[in-house]
Amino acid sequence: MARSVWKGPFLDGYMLGKADKARASGRNEVIKIWSRRSTILPQFVGLTFGVYNGQKFIPVLVTENMIGHKFGEFSPTRTFYGHAVDKKAKRK
Amino acid sequence: MARIAGVNIPTNKRVLIALTYIHGIGRAKATEITTSLGIPAERRVNQLTDDEVLKIRELIDRDFQVEGDLRRAVAMNIKRLMDLGCYRGLRHRRGLPVHGQRTHTNARTRKGPAKPIAGKKKVTK
Repeated sequence: MARSVWKGPFLDGYMLGKADKARASGRNEVIKIWSRRSTILPQFVGLTFGVYNGQKFIPVLVTENMIGHKFGEFSPTRTFYGHAVDKKAKRK
Repeated sequence: MARIAGVNIPTNKRVLIALTYIHGIGRAKATEITTSLGIPAERRVNQLTDDEVLKIRELIDRDFQVEGDLRRAVAMNIKRLMDLGCYRGLRHRRGLPVHGQRTHTNARTRKGPAKPIAGKKKVTK
């Protein structure tokens, strides 16, 4: 079910401050964030966030299309390298 | 015989049912169409007057996205997710279920027919 509109988008409060500080500093360095549950807002467009996936910070360059998604969606938490081919497998 | 929304030629079924042969129109929208045009439920497609067919066509053109347009819109939505590099897009790319279902077993609709695993012995009697 979708979130009620009257609540507005969810995000952790400190996100805005972090984004402002990064903009003010001018240099585009990766902003490290742990808040994967925060919504991507229009004012984040163009910034690069390092979204923590439990192990490392995945750099995410926010584009216009990403507005409305959550940060966590762009930082996969699982790695799957496929199943190893069994060399001992015999043909019958 | 009546052509509505492009290529669809529903047969001599009741209008309500015949309309559901159009991609993008199910029972709900078909009911909406028939009631808003005042077509009785027992009316069949071959008993429709040309005027009524025209009205149905106009209503669908105006209010609903059907057939090719709808298919294109859905494909575009999926493509957007895939280009975005978000989790749902990755799942679409790999042909795995998108909505968090289990994949340990089942998920055969997305994964397709089961592939045999090399070296696994068959239990035979």
